[in-house]
Amino acid sequence: MRRLLFLAASAALVLQACGGGGGGSSNFDASKVSGTVILSGWQASPEEGVALKAALDGFKATYPKINVDYQPVAGDYPTAMVAKFSAKQPPDVFYVDSGVAPDWIKQGVLQSLDDWSSSRGFDTSQFYSGYLNAFKGTDGKTYGYPKDGNTLGMAYNPDMLAAAGVQPPTTYDEMVTVGAALKAKGMIAYSMSPSLDRILAFIYGDGGSLLSSDKKSDAIDKPGFKEALNFYLNLFKQGYAKTPSDLGVDWNGKALGEKKVAIIFEGGWLDSYMHGTFPSVPYKWVEMPKGSAGKSTLAFTVSYSIGKDSPHPDAAWLLLTYLTGKDGMTLWTQGGVANPSRKDVAAPAGKEVLVSSASFAHPWSFIPGFSKVNDAFNNAFTGALQGNGSADTIISKTKQALDQQLNQP
Amino acid sequence: MLRLRASRGSLGTERAQEALAGYSFIAIPMMLFLVFNIGSLIYSAYISLWRWEILGPTDFLGFRNYAFILRDEVFHTAIKNSAYYTVIVVPIQMALGLLLAVTVNQIWRGRSFFRAAFYFPAIASSAAITVLYIYIMNPDGLFNHLLQLIGINPFGFHNQGNWLGHQDTALNSIIALNAWTTSGTMMLFYLGALTAIPTEVYEAARVDGAGPWTQFRRITFPMLAPAHYLVAVTSVIGALQMFDQAIIAGGADGNPNYSLMTVVLYLYNAAFRQFEFGYAAAVGIVLFIIIFSATLIQRRFFGSSDWAEAR
Repeated sequence: MRRLLFLAASAALVLQACGGGGGGSSNFDASKVSGTVILSGWQASPEEGVALKAALDGFKATYPKINVDYQPVAGDYPTAMVAKFSAKQPPDVFYVDSGVAPDWIKQGVLQSLDDWSSSRGFDTSQFYSGYLNAFKGTDGKTYGYPKDGNTLGMAYNPDMLAAAGVQPPTTYDEMVTVGAALKAKGMIAYSMSPSLDRILAFIYGDGGSLLSSDKKSDAIDKPGFKEALNFYLNLFKQGYAKTPSDLGVDWNGKALGEKKVAIIFEGGWLDSYMHGTFPSVPYKWVEMPKGSAGKSTLAFTVSYSIGKDSPHPDAAWLLLTYLTGKDGMTLWTQGGVANPSRKDVAAPAGKEVLVSSASFAHPWSFIPGFSKVNDAFNNAFTGALQGNGSADTIISKTKQALDQQLNQP
Repeated sequence: MLRLRASRGSLGTERAQEALAGYSFIAIPMMLFLVFNIGSLIYSAYISLWRWEILGPTDFLGFRNYAFILRDEVFHTAIKNSAYYTVIVVPIQMALGLLLAVTVNQIWRGRSFFRAAFYFPAIASSAAITVLYIYIMNPDGLFNHLLQLIGINPFGFHNQGNWLGHQDTALNSIIALNAWTTSGTMMLFYLGALTAIPTEVYEAARVDGAGPWTQFRRITFPMLAPAHYLVAVTSVIGALQMFDQAIIAGGADGNPNYSLMTVVLYLYNAAFRQFEFGYAAAVGIVLFIIIFSATLIQRRFFGSSDWAEAR
């Protein structure tokens, strides 16, 4: 039944999209566009290559006059792309990670898509806003559409929780109870990263935030931020949580796989790792526990964007909107290599929690120069964790770095 | 020779021809050096005066990039870390290198084996060695196991046995790693210089009743002065440029708590994570000035004229 509804909804959408395209104000005629567009991105696994090929085959069937020259970048993607931007020869369509998007938007290397989407009738309302907003510039324009997305969820080992006689925690308070119950049995409940890309989910959960909603000023002093920091620090102090580094592993997934802990907070990338490396270790996904301000998680996403001054803007636009549209995204995500960023594309099996969490997710995308703020937070947090500082130190160091970036001309 | 000279005409022409041949031999390397070393140095200095981002220069800033660097707390930490690292690692590298060289120099059987064995860490990829080292120094790693074998409980320490992950031990752990990997190179420099010391000096000393320690203190060590200069300069330059071990062990952000943030890592961040190439170029120029001054100071300290004399 759900599937039927889904099909009906998507058919309506396709009709609407087609109608919009035909009756748009510009003279744009998709059927007349031809040429070769260069597509670049990185490839995390061979399975991704297969899924992308399926999507590109679908594109070729829809737009036979357009050729796609796929040129994946190996190695350090941002650095390789910066070299291409500097040489004024970027690919026509390429991946942009949400973390780096504000920098690239500010530097003027990406094409704004709003004029085209309105004149050519591309409906963006089906994207989860947590993903789409990651690619909005300070000017309010959109510079990329999310090709897929991931949220953080809570992955737990049901056997270990059963051994301690507890249910998976659903609130921050329960996290403390569960931590204590496992500790009483000689187990460690949580492997938690001492880094902003995990802690921020808890900060949002307690109502805190880094930035004001217009991203023009910092909001660190508002309530919620310090409470969440103290809660997170306290889990370590009580011995309920350990960092991956202190557990002797390189990331939380390995701590779960080696049964060093019962609970971690990660995204969909955990699945292929667990199936490949620890196929016999049981784990389940549930939503992130709720804070005092309600549900929250972080949205990590990557867009397809078009290079400013692309020599083939029309063909690039068609490729971009096909791959981020319903059909292209269905082909790309159905094998389970990625989670859809659109509400009208069904979640692959086993990914339901992570896909639906997008409805309350905050994008991992902030302001230009954010890597310095991120580093300031992470270093201050590790410092505090190792006895050099407190929540106040973390706040003041992060605020200092944030204000420095906000006040840059 | 005389005939040649006569056939080619005057002495001046011949010298000119010889010079021309010489210059043509070094022309290509010189050109590469001028373009890629001196040229890029000058270009960096130019870039450092601009706000220079992905698409090139936008505003002329004068020395404002430099003013900003000198005010940035993270840069202060980077300078402090690089300076601490250099001051500790260079003497250790020199002492280890000298010790290995003197030892290898006295071995007659299997000398090339030991020379190769001691040099091996220097030619192995530093990335590969660092990754291995991370495993060894891991809380579950070999190092902590060895400590436990000899009755020491590493988990009782302040850092809970997490050597590279704790702010108080991370940099010192990297120092230990690099002292080991680079001492082989220093050994080679010293070995070369050791063979240049005439054996007659030692014979004369022995006749005068000097023991091995006196010989080392009075002959070997002072006669190695030019090698000391070379080794000190190269290892100080290498130490101030430390980057790979820091980024592999601590990540680009210099964690834990900036204890692995070095000047070059700071530069890398400015260029490739913040995309501020003008600012990064300014950091490069500051580092150049630091290294250049350090070399001049060492030249003063060790004296460079001895180098020519000893050859």
